[in-house]
Amino acid sequence: MTTKASFARARTERPPAGTRATDELPGPSHDGRGRRARRIAAWAVGLLCAALVIGGFSLGVRLPNLHNGLIAASFTAVGLFVVGRRPGNREGWLFIATGLAHAVMFFGRQYGFFAASTAEGADALPATTWVTWLGVWPLPLVLVLAGVTLMCFPDGRLPSPRWRPVVAVMMATGAVLAICSALWPVEYAENSLSVPHPLHVGGYDTAQRLWNVIAPAAYLLIQLAWAACVVVRMRRAEGDEARQLRWFVYAVAIGAAAMAMGLIFFGSAAPGVLAVPVVAVAAGVAIVKYRLYDIDLVINKTLVVGAMAAIITAGYVAVVVGFGRLVGVEPGPNPVLAIVATAIVAIAFEPARRRVQRTADRLVYGDRPSPYEALARLSTQLSGAGRHADLFSELASTVAGGVGAAEVTLWVGADEELVAVASWPPSDHGSQLATAPKNLASLGDGGRTHVRPIVHQGSLRGAVTLNKPPGEVMTSSDDRLLHDLAAQAGLVIDNAGLAVELQHRLHEISLQAAELQAAGKRIVAAQDKARRRIERDLHDGAQQRLVTLALTLQSLSQRVASARDDTLVAQVEEARVQLSQALAELREMARGIHPAILTQEGLEAALGFLAERAPLPVQLDVCLPRRLGQDVEATAYFVVSEALTNAAKHSGASSIAVVGRLRDGRLCIEVTDNGQGGADGHWGSGLQGLLDRLATLNGRLTVHSPVGGGSRLSAELPCE
Amino acid sequence: MLADDAVLFREGTARVLIDAGFEVTGQAGDAAELLDLVSRDPPAAAIIDIRMPPGHSAEGLEAAVEIRRIAPDVGLLLLSQHVETHHAMRLMTEFEGGVGYLLKDRVSDLATFVSDVRRVANGDCVIDAELVARLVDKKREGDPLADLTERERTVLAFMAQGRSNSALSAELCLSGKTIEAHVRSIFMKLNLSVDAGDHRRVLAVLAFLRR
Repeated sequence: MTTKASFARARTERPPAGTRATDELPGPSHDGRGRRARRIAAWAVGLLCAALVIGGFSLGVRLPNLHNGLIAASFTAVGLFVVGRRPGNREGWLFIATGLAHAVMFFGRQYGFFAASTAEGADALPATTWVTWLGVWPLPLVLVLAGVTLMCFPDGRLPSPRWRPVVAVMMATGAVLAICSALWPVEYAENSLSVPHPLHVGGYDTAQRLWNVIAPAAYLLIQLAWAACVVVRMRRAEGDEARQLRWFVYAVAIGAAAMAMGLIFFGSAAPGVLAVPVVAVAAGVAIVKYRLYDIDLVINKTLVVGAMAAIITAGYVAVVVGFGRLVGVEPGPNPVLAIVATAIVAIAFEPARRRVQRTADRLVYGDRPSPYEALARLSTQLSGAGRHADLFSELASTVAGGVGAAEVTLWVGADEELVAVASWPPSDHGSQLATAPKNLASLGDGGRTHVRPIVHQGSLRGAVTLNKPPGEVMTSSDDRLLHDLAAQAGLVIDNAGLAVELQHRLHEISLQAAELQAAGKRIVAAQDKARRRIERDLHDGAQQRLVTLALTLQSLSQRVASARDDTLVAQVEEARVQLSQALAELREMARGIHPAILTQEGLEAALGFLAERAPLPVQLDVCLPRRLGQDVEATAYFVVSEALTNAAKHSGASSIAVVGRLRDGRLCIEVTDNGQGGADGHWGSGLQGLLDRLATLNGRLTVHSPVGGGSRLSAELPCE
Repeated sequence: MLADDAVLFREGTARVLIDAGFEVTGQAGDAAELLDLVSRDPPAAAIIDIRMPPGHSAEGLEAAVEIRRIAPDVGLLLLSQHVETHHAMRLMTEFEGGVGYLLKDRVSDLATFVSDVRRVANGDCVIDAELVARLVDKKREGDPLADLTERERTVLAFMAQGRSNSALSAELCLSGKTIEAHVRSIFMKLNLSVDAGDHRRVLAVLAFLRR
């Protein structure tokens, strides 16, 4: 595990192939000279190769040798192109070497084929046997070279030094085979060469027998070695390298498909052979231009188009041939069946395409949602109710999932004051997000950070910043997806802004409500206080004076009695009686303003007094273990007083029950009558006054008064 | 002995009582002063305002309890601007006679007031007529008082005020036997047990009326 880990690190630290222009060149002076030398060498090799290939083709086109020519031309051309664009890339030179080797082989074999096709045979051209010989015996070494070229793709280096022994064994094997092939004509027959071998070394039969046994196995081993190397590299590749390798594999797959189709439908390897340059071109694109095109999209579309073509063909064939045969229609063109087949294909096309697209998406993008899925998922999340903080987190994770980013941060605000509101992967604690506001220009300071401003209705609402994993770049589809997600994000931020504003308003309103309630409470308390003061003023003042006046009148009447003036006695007595009535009235008034018993003896006694004086029988069931707050007692008293008055006036009830209890720190008062109900209308300003009083204490008042079913008034008052 | 924080009223009452032949042994402005005076020279009766400084709630009542403790023979007449059943019941249950509870207005009705003071001094009970009237008039479900005759209701009210049979017969100009018959009838109709002693009778009637 350690070696693997260190290896992976070593590779990720190295920039991907083609990103450094002069990674092999130590200094500037050397640079200039080395570059010129390389350019001259490249041109020389290119000209040589071109001469060999053109010369070879001028001797005719022969299918068994065609692939050599195509490989020579395409690999050399691509190699030169790569070397021209990326002089430091070794892979370009390996391509050139592979191309040149094939060019030599191609020319040699063309030479031999041409000579053999003439009447003169081997004598038609000079040194036919030797030139042809050059086209045959290098084959094992060329195969090894091609293998190593593939093993070193795309950066011209082996995946790890551990492959060096493998390459050494491959080369040794190739060398042994090549020497064998150089000494004896062991490979002439299978390459359809009728030109004789220039050397005449003894022991050919033994050599051919051994060759027949060893060579296929050795070739197979060489192929397996490089194939294994490519597979291992692919499995470990990430980022750019993976993308480059995908180009290559894509081309190989296309080539293989062309070969298979050619063999199946035309019985010819020509299509496959003709597809060989595709591999070289794809490899070149992978090295030099992979950033320009999104291979994933190309593969995806190829898969979809290929699969759909196959399905349509299969369906068409199945209907026209299979169904036709089943119902006994004669073979041959049948318009009805053709129309049926077309209709079926037309109907089944879209569902099938969608399914194929999904499969292709899964194959290409893996767990990563396709751009469409990412957008669809985001829409679902947006429509589902949620806190905007969650929405931001979802948005960040959607962006991360959609474009395969390692880190995503969502910023909200205007240009100069962007604040990070969510990030992906989610941090365990919010501290990471509690950074100072930044401006848009400074967001990309991280170097590899991609910044995408979020603009909604023409103004900047925020930004998305993201980092791809090391070695990965933003593809054009990533870019498009990010663009669409950013548009959605603008909407989210707008909504979140509204939500925040709403919350702010709600907070303000609740503050105002609390202030209003406090003010109401103060007003009620002040009112109660004033009432108590008036009652006491009456008690200590007017009532006291009137009582004293009554005493004075009393003395007066005694004196008048002794004066024996009956009229005067009657007048004084009249005054005394009137004074007594006035006192009684004043007493009632004082009680109405504020019952002294409530302050002195508490709610239970005060309610008892109310019950005593009620115009209806009152069943009083009040049990309070302690005195309550003055405001609570006064409110409860006035609630019962009002309820009794109302019941007596309107309900036609014959009795009333008053229940008072203290439950869970709440005073619960219930006044029930057995009257006609429907009392809702009778509660006029009295009820409103009570409701106002209760509201200031956070109390609750409900009146349940169905017509014909009596009335029940319940009041609940918190007493803490 | 007089205790009231209103000097004018106190003076006026004192004059009325002196005119009626009482000796006013002292006047106090609050409960503490009252207790001090009573403990030094216990009078036959103390006339006390229920609501006095400092709390202006029921200081007079508390003072009465204390007086009964230190000088059990002092008759206690409590005055108030308004009479509460609550206080009346407390007086009747906590004291074994010799207590009264009247509206302050009553001092202007000399004859009745003087007689009430004497009754309290003699160990009888006096309950304000207004309070009793309120209780008798109180609405009840299936009112048992409905069975009483007009005369019986009057007798019941007087009983509740603390009047004795002899006082009743004088008041109503009826013979003692007639009054006794009325009282028996009332107690039977109200399903009350006939109790010995005027005080207990008052308590029983008040308790009944309060229900």
